[in-house]
Amino acid sequence: MVDILDVVLPIISLVTFAVLTIPVFRVIRKTQHRTALALAWFATAFLVSGAAVANLALQYYSLESPLPFLSVTLSDTPLSEFSSGFMIDGISVYMAIMFVAVSAIILVYSVFYVDSSKRPSERYFAIMLVLTAALMGAVFAGDLLTLFIFWEAAAAGSSFLMIYKKDPVSLNSTLKYLVMIIIASAFIVFGLSIVYGLTGSLNFWAVREALMTLADKQLLVIAFILIASGYAIEAAIVPFHFWLPDAYAASPSSSAAFLSALIDQGSYYVLIRVLIFILTPPDVLNWTFMLAVMAALTMIVGNLFALIQDNVKRLIANICVADVGYNLVGITSVTALGLTGNLYFFLMGGITTALSFMAVGVASRYGFRTLEDFSGLGKKMPLVSIALVIAALSFAGVPPLGGFMAKYLVFTAAIQANMSWLAVVGVLTSVLQVAYLLRLVNYMYARDPKDEIVIKEPKRILVPIFILVAAIIILGFYPQIVFNFIDPVVNQLPLIP
Amino acid sequence: MVALLLVFLLPTLGIPIVYLTGKKSPRAAAIVVALIALANTGLLLTTVPEVLNSSDHVYVEPYAWISILESEFTLFVDGISLSLAIITSVLIVVAALFSIDYMEGKKNLAVYYTLLTMLSLGLVGVFITSNILLFYFCWELMLVPAYFIIGGWGYRSPFRAAFKFFIFTHAGAVFVLLGIGAIYMFTGATDMFLAQQSLMSVSPDLVRWILLSLTAGFAVKMAVVPVHMWLPDAHSEAPSPMSALLSGVIISAGAYAILRLSLGTVFPAVMDTAFGTDFVHGLAIFGVLSAFFGSLIALVETDIKRIIAYSSIAHMGYVLFGLSLFPSSLGAGVVVITAAITGTVLHLVTHAVSKGLLFLSAGAIMHQTEVRDIREMGGLAGKMPFTAVSSTIAALSIAGTPPFACFISEFLIFVGAFEVISGDGFFLLPTALMLIATVLSLAYSLRYLSHVFLGKPKTEGEKKIVDVPIYMKAAMAILVVFVIVLGIWPTFFIDLINTVQFL
Repeated sequence: MVDILDVVLPIISLVTFAVLTIPVFRVIRKTQHRTALALAWFATAFLVSGAAVANLALQYYSLESPLPFLSVTLSDTPLSEFSSGFMIDGISVYMAIMFVAVSAIILVYSVFYVDSSKRPSERYFAIMLVLTAALMGAVFAGDLLTLFIFWEAAAAGSSFLMIYKKDPVSLNSTLKYLVMIIIASAFIVFGLSIVYGLTGSLNFWAVREALMTLADKQLLVIAFILIASGYAIEAAIVPFHFWLPDAYAASPSSSAAFLSALIDQGSYYVLIRVLIFILTPPDVLNWTFMLAVMAALTMIVGNLFALIQDNVKRLIANICVADVGYNLVGITSVTALGLTGNLYFFLMGGITTALSFMAVGVASRYGFRTLEDFSGLGKKMPLVSIALVIAALSFAGVPPLGGFMAKYLVFTAAIQANMSWLAVVGVLTSVLQVAYLLRLVNYMYARDPKDEIVIKEPKRILVPIFILVAAIIILGFYPQIVFNFIDPVVNQLPLIP
Repeated sequence: MVALLLVFLLPTLGIPIVYLTGKKSPRAAAIVVALIALANTGLLLTTVPEVLNSSDHVYVEPYAWISILESEFTLFVDGISLSLAIITSVLIVVAALFSIDYMEGKKNLAVYYTLLTMLSLGLVGVFITSNILLFYFCWELMLVPAYFIIGGWGYRSPFRAAFKFFIFTHAGAVFVLLGIGAIYMFTGATDMFLAQQSLMSVSPDLVRWILLSLTAGFAVKMAVVPVHMWLPDAHSEAPSPMSALLSGVIISAGAYAILRLSLGTVFPAVMDTAFGTDFVHGLAIFGVLSAFFGSLIALVETDIKRIIAYSSIAHMGYVLFGLSLFPSSLGAGVVVITAAITGTVLHLVTHAVSKGLLFLSAGAIMHQTEVRDIREMGGLAGKMPFTAVSSTIAALSIAGTPPFACFISEFLIFVGAFEVISGDGFFLLPTALMLIATVLSLAYSLRYLSHVFLGKPKTEGEKKIVDVPIYMKAAMAILVVFVIVLGIWPTFFIDLINTVQFL
């Protein structure tokens, strides 16, 4: 039996560790082995929360028949259906595992990247832990309000990561980000209030059942549009995408890696959860077509903007936008294959963007920022360059790297759902992606370095980077490892029409 | 029985070994690459008896892979794929040996040999699987190491040529991907043979788009006119061992893919429609176009490697013409191997060794003289006798002169063409034109030989020109043996190819 404690334990443990991080770092800073102790501290944090997540997964899968939508409520009253609470299903377990694993790797990178011996860095790490906890709360949420609260905590909280450098550019872009988030949440709250008025509940199950039998669906359409556009802003779907490249490019690379691998994928998870599982009004609104158009636009715009970028970090930030488009292709198909593709894309797309931000971060420490600066990087920093090339090829969808299988699944799903045009757009924009990514590779290997500076690559920071490289290659060639987690999810899809 | 799995594993495990050996001594790394490829040749040969003697003439090793897509890691060879895989492994051995002296003194050779090992994984892998997805994995695995080899160790502006190569072939590959996705959607199968049967029940109107998309994608790799533009640059700017692999194997992989996937898997579903007939006619027309275009440019080109590169386009024209003779109306899905198909596959084998030899000889000339314009050469026969002999053998084979390798395969293609003409009068004109094209190939081969080896030296360099070092000689000698032996005794490969009963 899954207890309420099993569900909240991962969240609570992460928050506890986050709170303790600040006093612990005060002690750690005075000792000699600062970095080692900091790493040990975070290793403990992630081991504990990882164990909690593993416990939850085991509890869930040891149930007689792993039910979809296992509701875990705070109290056992007859009206618990209508109260706030948590809900576990295969997707939330999968997402939680993914969040813990990826967050741990990015945190290790951050310890090296953001000088952990300087003062405010402990807050930075603490915020990362809290954000991971908030994301986990969002994936375990059982009603629209809990989802809203946890998710907004993660989305708004991530502005602290962006603003860490406190320079004018990042202040500006963070402000832009916060304004967008606030507008988005206003939309969502308005939509939620309509849903509550229509159904008298915000619980996933109850809302869904009530909406199915609703007689007059006009208000529902309005609510759907409001909620969808709210989440579309947060997921940076074109035409609501323009905050993302600014925000990611202005924040430190470790933050950008965290944002792209966790917050971005989380926002997209929320979109899928709300649209596919709860609001599914297929007979009211031709929403799949609407989303398909948005997906096509997102892929085209994201890639075209990446094409004209001169700054490598901005280039990758624009690929993040394009990635959202590829991911949307999966959701619009509303098939089991599409959902598999989405869930696999969360992981592979996330770690690929994280990897490229991490590699670019190491390079930018030595002042390499624009494409011009990257000339001859292959000779100056061979290992960082290899990591960046692997990430670029994975973006471009070259097998056997992870990006290929992700794209293959979503495109096949689109063809299966009779939207071949969307797959064609996706494939053609992939070619465009290859073109500008090869331009980057070309700069790194074909051009001669502008100066003769010899750089000794920092070895420690390469460890988390190459863990991700290995993950992309292994999980790309043998994706069955990930599919073992996704399989049960796809088998419990009674709710997809 | 794990022979084919080992063929995959040896290069995979070899990658770090080659890199570490190469750090100490590039020469040792080259030997390791050659040994791995030699071992692979041996492993492939061990499957020959099973292919020849078993009842359905195939050798299969299935392993678990991606169960959610019902996709198995199926390693498979039949007569056609085994012939091509064997000759590919041989060419890799030769390319590695040739690289020892040819690449001497270049930078980062450890990386070069590592990339060569990765490349060999993709090159052989493409031929030994019947899983479409795994096929695509290997198909793209050929691309990335090739890009870096051309870019990193090529001539003039190598990354430009490499970029062109990557973009063209990757653009082709995404059309292949669309086709593969559509096949999966209609049949739920990623195995070629299962897909073939399931596609029979799909509407021909849909299947024709799959067929066109796949064929267009493969044609880019095969460098059929008008999507050949990447080939002259990539082949001529690549280091010569890489050119030999590009011309010998990579474009052959395109032809093999058209035979195996377009014609073997998808085509039977539209075989009996009017579109099916139009399709093979279209292949014949593009084949003739490529043959003439390639031959004519080769006649006027003056860069030693570009001549050979254009001759590759011409030869892929022959191959495409041979593929167009694919039996187009034999009723539901039964495919019988005709003389034309035997000849076409044999031509892939013979062209691989002949063109490999010609590229290596050209590389030897460039390496020793540091000249690449044939107008500035001449009289090299006296100074480089070994290279002169091997070039002559290779060029005559390319021209289709008996008793060298390409003669017999071209002959078989024409025999097949005459068989087909009796049933379909359309092929009369293309066959006649193809016969004229072979005359052109003799013309450019002779022009090449006379400019380079005969006459008086045009420029007196300060450097005394001598014949090639020992490893380059050894590599070329291996291919000379293959060209001559395949010319007078092609029975081994013909028997192997003729065992194929279905595609």
